[in-house]
Amino acid sequence: MPQYLIKRTGQAVFTLFCVLTFAFILGRATGKPAGLLLPDNATPAEVDALNGALGFNEPLHVQYLTFLANVLGGDFGMSYRQREPALVLIAERLPATFELAFWSFLLGLVLALLAATAIQLTGSRTLRSIFIWGGSLRQSVPDFFFALLAVLLFSVALGMLPSLGRTSPASLVLPVLTIATGQFVLYVRLIDAALSDQAGQDYVRTAFSKGQSRARVLFSHMLPNSVLPVLTMAGLNLGSLLGGTVVVEAVFAWPGLGQVLTEAVSQRDFPIVQAGLLVVALIFVSVNLAVDLIAAKVDPRVSLA
Amino acid sequence: MTQQLLPNELAVPAVPSATDPQGKVRRRPAAARGKRRAAASPAFVAGSVMLGLVLLLAAGGALLPGYDPFGQNLSAAMRKPFTDPEHLLGTDSLGRDMLSRLSLASFVTLGIALAVVILNAVIGTGLGMAAGYFGGRLDSAITTLADVNLAMPVVLLLIAVAAVTGPSATLTIATLGLTYWVGYARVSRNLARSLRHRDFVLAPLTQGGGHGWVIRKHILPNVFSQTLIIAATDIATIILIESSLEYLGLGVQPPVPSWGSMIFEGQKYLGTNPWLAILPGIVMFLTVAGAQFTSQRFTAEGTTGALLRKGRAA
Repeated sequence: MPQYLIKRTGQAVFTLFCVLTFAFILGRATGKPAGLLLPDNATPAEVDALNGALGFNEPLHVQYLTFLANVLGGDFGMSYRQREPALVLIAERLPATFELAFWSFLLGLVLALLAATAIQLTGSRTLRSIFIWGGSLRQSVPDFFFALLAVLLFSVALGMLPSLGRTSPASLVLPVLTIATGQFVLYVRLIDAALSDQAGQDYVRTAFSKGQSRARVLFSHMLPNSVLPVLTMAGLNLGSLLGGTVVVEAVFAWPGLGQVLTEAVSQRDFPIVQAGLLVVALIFVSVNLAVDLIAAKVDPRVSLA
Repeated sequence: MTQQLLPNELAVPAVPSATDPQGKVRRRPAAARGKRRAAASPAFVAGSVMLGLVLLLAAGGALLPGYDPFGQNLSAAMRKPFTDPEHLLGTDSLGRDMLSRLSLASFVTLGIALAVVILNAVIGTGLGMAAGYFGGRLDSAITTLADVNLAMPVVLLLIAVAAVTGPSATLTIATLGLTYWVGYARVSRNLARSLRHRDFVLAPLTQGGGHGWVIRKHILPNVFSQTLIIAATDIATIILIESSLEYLGLGVQPPVPSWGSMIFEGQKYLGTNPWLAILPGIVMFLTVAGAQFTSQRFTAEGTTGALLRKGRAA
């Protein structure tokens, strides 16, 4: 166990290090920022002086080490346009994105769990096809287009739900519905595969032979054993969930990470983008590390593998 | 490391069993192949038809009379579909012909997706075969690279690169092409690993064959069919991501149309002429659904059903 723990943590740290290095290279590729920071009528000497003050005239390896030290100390640089720490600007948008991602994840998972248990309880192949095909069809429509159709139906035609912004709990409905239904088929496939995997095991046959009901076998034997693979996959899917959230935010003018990042791209405000990339990578890597460590704790076979 | 499954990996079959001493997968007898073709599922037929329509639109659009994706005509702007014989599918807010724009957008979007998939397949299969064949340090280096790659959310990565270079089609191809290869690498690594000590690999080595030659002549032919299967399933995902980026304005730049940017444009006129957004949406749906339906024939889609049945019988 300790060996696995060390190896897995080391891997996570290494991944973060790579993301940091990548962000550094990208940042230097943007060129020196003083030209963007100063007014248009600044003299070349002033530009050079500011670049020097910001440390951009140092040798590259010194810049790299300074960058690493700053990031470790929580300093992700200042926004070029808004004269505020980039991390602060990102941090104030995170709750909105988390809210969206969390409820979408929860709704998608609950729907998929209901669907998968229904498939197993009834043992109906038709039901399984309906869920998988329906989900695949939904997945064939990109989130941003599905969101538009939902707006067209519920906001423009029926006038039931708000189409923009984050003003009331009702404004959560359409974005969450969009992301959750998009993720649905992935989770159904996964849970269904995990449950079907369990269904062939000896202990399930034994349980049936003792006369236990299908429901009891499913809920008290098969389901707990299927949690781990689902959990691992859900952790890995977090990246696509957050990426999807960023796109859906753009449709609904949701004041989250996606909005601040796309704005930053159009204004060439690199520190914000960099802070966003690093924060999301940090979240992603730590969630996956946590999932793997929990899995290893709960299931001793994992750390032996 | 090992428990990080990709969806692709769920569909990884064992090493092809029907290999002849040359290491090539033996082809089925013609009769058996014919039988299989006859048994194509309705989903496969429907998917092929959908894909065929889109390909026809992409390839044949430029041959239509009145093809002009860029010409503006403000006096004929915002025509609805099937109301104007000169513009069969109507016009957008600048009076540009929607059919021509859809055709060019399909050509552009499909071209980018194809380039991305080819890049992914070449990088992934190459790295995977090298890792599986040579093993050792190279293997762990490539596996780590794949894990690091998985830890980067692709959309955010592209946003970050776009902030530096400015968005363009080349950028989309490069970023997606360089980041989405892990599925290919895993499958070809595992296959190459299991083929490494087979007789048909060892035999040419003992006779002085070089590693490059062995990989090219004996490993690649066995890995190739798997690469094609992954490419077929991946292309739908690539199109979805690519269009999302185009929707965010991070892909092909105007005036060249793409499905994503056309939907973004159309969104402004949802109340007055929703067709501007719906038409590219329909073409996109046909492509992605068509690709999914046709590629399901090659994946484990049917096998999981068999598992379910087997499980119930037990």
